Amino acid sequence: MKRGWLVFLWCISAYVLAAPVELKVNLRVGSQPLQWGQTYQTPQGQRYRLDLLKFYISEVALVRPDGREVRVDGLALAEFKRDGPTQGVSVMKLDVPAGQYRGLRFNVGVPRELNHLDAGTQQLPLGVNSGMYWAWNPGYIFYRLEGTALLPEGNQKWVIHMGTDTFRIPVRLHDLQTRRVQINIPPAGGAILLNLDVARAFEPGPGGVFLDWRKQSLRQLHGLSPETSLLMSVVYFNMQSAFSLAQ
Amino acid sequence: MRRRPMVWAGLLLGVGLLGWYFWPRSVPPPPVAGPPPHPTSPRILFAERSVPIPEDNPQTPAKVALGRKLFYDTRLSKDNTIACASCHKPEFAFSDGGKAVSTGIFGRKGSRNAPTLTNVGFRRHLFWEGRSPRLELQAVGPLTAHDEMGLEPEELAQRLQAIPEYAQAFREVFGEPPSLRAVTYAIAAFERTLVSYNSPFDRYQAGDDQALSPAALRGMELFFSEKGDCFHCHVGPDFTDDEPRNTALYTVYKDIGLARATGRDEDVGKFKTPTLRNVALTAPYMHDGSIRTLREVVQHYNRGGEPNLNADVLIRPLGLTEQEVDDLVAFLEALTDTSFTTNPALLPPGGKGGTP
Repeated sequence: MKRGWLVFLWCISAYVLAAPVELKVNLRVGSQPLQWGQTYQTPQGQRYRLDLLKFYISEVALVRPDGREVRVDGLALAEFKRDGPTQGVSVMKLDVPAGQYRGLRFNVGVPRELNHLDAGTQQLPLGVNSGMYWAWNPGYIFYRLEGTALLPEGNQKWVIHMGTDTFRIPVRLHDLQTRRVQINIPPAGGAILLNLDVARAFEPGPGGVFLDWRKQSLRQLHGLSPETSLLMSVVYFNMQSAFSLAQ
Repeated sequence: MRRRPMVWAGLLLGVGLLGWYFWPRSVPPPPVAGPPPHPTSPRILFAERSVPIPEDNPQTPAKVALGRKLFYDTRLSKDNTIACASCHKPEFAFSDGGKAVSTGIFGRKGSRNAPTLTNVGFRRHLFWEGRSPRLELQAVGPLTAHDEMGLEPEELAQRLQAIPEYAQAFREVFGEPPSLRAVTYAIAAFERTLVSYNSPFDRYQAGDDQALSPAALRGMELFFSEKGDCFHCHVGPDFTDDEPRNTALYTVYKDIGLARATGRDEDVGKFKTPTLRNVALTAPYMHDGSIRTLREVVQHYNRGGEPNLNADVLIRPLGLTEQEVDDLVAFLEALTDTSFTTNPALLPPGGKGGTP
């Protein structure tokens, strides 16, 4: 009888009490782990190196088998710098009820209600000290990828600064129809490991358009500029499928 | 017994009055620590204006001094060659002295003309698009842009922390170690002291009938008339409405201006109206520095600009004679305040002379 009560209480507490979970990220270029300093090639044959990646994660929710969500407050800034680790890097800590989930969703970006506050008065991971504040265009850079293009005429730095409320990237890694996605969070907590294929940004768009770094205007991809908005939209579309759950 | 309610009422009133007297109230902000008046500065019309100070960045002499030091320090750039003052030189009213566009770290060229910082503390919108709301946030741009000063927040903080005099100054002024945020707050405090109101035009406004030449007086009449039609955009004490406008400089703009931020076709070619104070010192002109002289600028507006679908409704051929163009130029030259460009309180600290 006593044992039955103990099992019952354990089940209840496991359901109600939050288990600590770490969201971790592996950076990939295609299927390979990203290595700083290594030269990669886009599908169009342009050679490049990666120098920096920073992005915000917000509005995280784990999805239960019945479709209900366990939403997690807060926002995190993931930072990957040259010579720093690229595999299994903890980017956010969550507290969620233990149990079975069919995946998770999150946005890459800053929620609208935080994106337009005075950056001078905000604290990390927001604020100007984050290195993500967009001085000329109020709001934050959501996804900041920078590198060097190895062009025949010499090396050229390029940046992708994705931001503004239009380009908040929705990432949906759940599946209620099949049992392909299974996330088990035990009462003691655990980790959810994501892969992020950074090279996905360089996949061509409709009609074969691509980020041609030989053009100076495309080495600064940011904002809503009509000059570059088509390619920004291509990168935005590509990035929605750049994350996956690591097996 | 009947007097008891009166006693209670009296007691309550007394307690209320005491409470009102001792209730803590917000302390009014200290007066703005602007530059000391220049010996030649008369008390004139626009001197009555006070620079708006944000609540989260009160002006103190120590903060202004720190901001001034930072403003002139090339160590705030990646390759130690560029300071704010490299492109905002005091002798050119804090613009870039004849350069169409400025040169940043590693010799990288920018794409826009460095604007004057004359009376910049009064501006409601900053950058050529006018999309930055305050000086503290605007300063993040040049400090971090890869073709200007190019420092990441962490690197800037580490570099300043390693300089003992800066480490101490930041502790004293902000009570915290150096950071990008604190740097921008100090620089903004200094920028709010860049106040100019001692031009011949100001002296004329104050009652000195001899301050303006006959040509400048004729130009002033044109400037504020529908014929010259300058005053609709170049309005107010600083001769700017702070709004983005397309001035029909080109039919096809290489730099699309405000549209870069909004993505709207109707914003292509819109740039913020610049102040005209000290404009004779800030050549070349327009957002890209493509017009070399003031006379050529006036001629551009006199012609009505180039065909452009987004051109401001006020842009049209003005029909000014050559004499009238000269008169307008004479008036614009009368907006020059040399006591501003030579004010010792605004020059590099330590009397080093020259700018980086």
